[in-house]
Amino acid sequence: MTDTPRRRASDDPDYVHPAARPFLFLGEAKVKRNFIWLPLAGLVIASVLGVFHPAKHPAPWETIGGTPIPGSWAIFGFLAYSLIVFAAGPLFRLLGRREDFYGEGGLPDPDYSTDPMLVPPAGDAPVGKNAEDFPPQPLSGKAHSVDDLPEDGR
Amino acid sequence: MTDALPLLAQINPGLWVILAGLLAALLPVGPARKALAIAAPLFAAVMIFDIYDSTEVLAGQFEIMGVELTTLRIDNLSVVWGYLFCLAGLINAIYALHEDSWITDSSALVYTGAAIAGVLSGDMLSLFLFWELTAISSVFLVWQGGDRAYHAGIRYLVIQVLSGVLLLAGAVMFANSRGGDFMFDYVGLDAPGGWLLLIAMGIKAGFPMLHMWMQDAYPKASITGTVILASFTTKFAIYALARAFPGTDILIWIGCIMTMFPVFFAVVENDLRRVLAYSLNNQLGFMVAGIGIGTTLAMNGVVGQVFVHVIFKGLLFMSIGAVIYRTGTAKASELGGLFRSMPYTTVLCLIGAGSIAAFPLLAAFVTKAMILSAALEEHLWVPFAMMLFASAGVMEHSGIKVPHFTFFAHDSGRRVREAPWNMLLAMSLAALLCIVLAWPWGGYELLYSIMPYPTDYKPYTWDHVVFQMQLLFAAIFAFTLLKRFRLYPAERRAEIVDMDILYRKIGRGAAVWADAVWTRLSARMSLGRGKAARRLGRRLYQAFSPAGALSHAAPSGLASVMTVTVLALVLVFAYVAGR
Repeated sequence: MTDTPRRRASDDPDYVHPAARPFLFLGEAKVKRNFIWLPLAGLVIASVLGVFHPAKHPAPWETIGGTPIPGSWAIFGFLAYSLIVFAAGPLFRLLGRREDFYGEGGLPDPDYSTDPMLVPPAGDAPVGKNAEDFPPQPLSGKAHSVDDLPEDGR
Repeated sequence: MTDALPLLAQINPGLWVILAGLLAALLPVGPARKALAIAAPLFAAVMIFDIYDSTEVLAGQFEIMGVELTTLRIDNLSVVWGYLFCLAGLINAIYALHEDSWITDSSALVYTGAAIAGVLSGDMLSLFLFWELTAISSVFLVWQGGDRAYHAGIRYLVIQVLSGVLLLAGAVMFANSRGGDFMFDYVGLDAPGGWLLLIAMGIKAGFPMLHMWMQDAYPKASITGTVILASFTTKFAIYALARAFPGTDILIWIGCIMTMFPVFFAVVENDLRRVLAYSLNNQLGFMVAGIGIGTTLAMNGVVGQVFVHVIFKGLLFMSIGAVIYRTGTAKASELGGLFRSMPYTTVLCLIGAGSIAAFPLLAAFVTKAMILSAALEEHLWVPFAMMLFASAGVMEHSGIKVPHFTFFAHDSGRRVREAPWNMLLAMSLAALLCIVLAWPWGGYELLYSIMPYPTDYKPYTWDHVVFQMQLLFAAIFAFTLLKRFRLYPAERRAEIVDMDILYRKIGRGAAVWADAVWTRLSARMSLGRGKAARRLGRRLYQAFSPAGALSHAAPSGLASVMTVTVLALVLVFAYVAGR
């Protein structure tokens, strides 16, 4: 046996590992939609607890008039995370290039990747420089149903 | 203190692992190689345990060409790395059991052995030797990634060897300033060769602008190769920095920048192994910053962070490796919904993700807090804020992005088998350690017991748990909120250019241009030389040939003038010479 991938996809397109069956609800749209309440609840509880257990050694920017802010790390974490995510768009436009930009075959391995970039549809010869010139193509393999599509339409 | 040590205990334990690697290269039987791969790190660990007695051990000393070498030093700092690399070697060997490749087996063993021997070396020449050996042995793991990894492997090798050359140059300068003493101790930036040593170590540790080799080579190596590579090289460099530059202020800022910049690359990267390579860079930043702070709490935090980082980062690389093994890709845009077919890998990956994000009860919760607390104690507010920002970034790329886009998100429709048993076993061992080493009731004290300085730091205080949970819940909430409002960017296939564009595109373009210019210039010069030679020949011919100007009969008046001139020159020369 070598280190080359062993895909061995099941013949059954609805195959589910026995251990995963009790957790299939995690893939339901309703559960995904309502998942947001879990971190929100955690955030509220942790922030309320911050009132009773303030930071012992707060940084100057974690205090107002010398009083520690109970949810300072919550505010910081939310803002920091949002900033990082919002930076993604401009960064992608700035740094994103075609996968074969360096002429070394890109990151996917041509031996086994299912990347459509490596096997472009007939008549769709890639042109352009930036990765944005290449809108996402349908994945090879099992066809997607509408229900499978994520909310962002990917 | 070590003269009485038996001969076996005079030998650097890493050498046994290197020897096993050389033997493995000759062994045609796969199971025998696998047995060696598991036994060698275990044996090295036993040897370290046998030799080290809680006081500094110096052994294997000999003189070569007037230079005193100390090939074995085990003290409270190196012993941690020694044990850690043995543990990583063992877990990696289990993970690679499915792979029948003598190149992987032998190079992994030599690489592991070189890393162990390197951190247990007492002098800088031995350190240099093993520094270079880690580079040379590990490049085969990159090349095992296939044809597409060839150029990345070459670049990796060149950069690593360059790092070694700088290390040697710095070591020689430093030793010369100390009368030829090559002992590897505190160096500092004021010492001759200090900057060269810092840059050499910085290349291997992934300092900003010197980091690109990591994101270039690691994602292209073989599945097991990436896991093995992620364990040793950078942590070897962190050891060297901890030994040579503790308390060096500039490292605080270098480390803080290291924690932050990879976050922005990771968020737009599609290849999950490359995301993890950026994440690795980010985690190294915490260690470098801790070394820069240099207090006992910070150094304990660094040592602890290195120890758990090798384990949880290995776990994350292993889980993505298992996904590649089954699906053939590590691209977020092609994955999703794999929890249905790889549930065990999902859980193990989540433990790794929780560990790196520093969830309570999981690995980095204790160690990262020590580094952050050390920054607070020293009133380093800005570095503290930078590291806190980076902690939210860790949650983004490793805590959420990697598991979410691999195992959850939308269903990619891939129906694959669960990872092989050996991969699951290796991942389970790592996951178990992630939990044990952060366990509030006696677990993290195990970690404390190997730290270089005694500590009574209490990680499970109300305020620490509460505020850490605030940070993590806030990040998860921001993620879900941005997803709900479709503000979270979709994963898109692309090559994200990094600083390596300087030599892979601009530098290469400049070299190609210079080559073309040189080719044209040399053709022009050749043409010009030919023309000049022909013109000269023609002139000489016109002057001296039988038909040339000098062969013509000269007028007697001109001949007499020339004769008088020559005679006058001779007279002047004779007069000057005779004075």
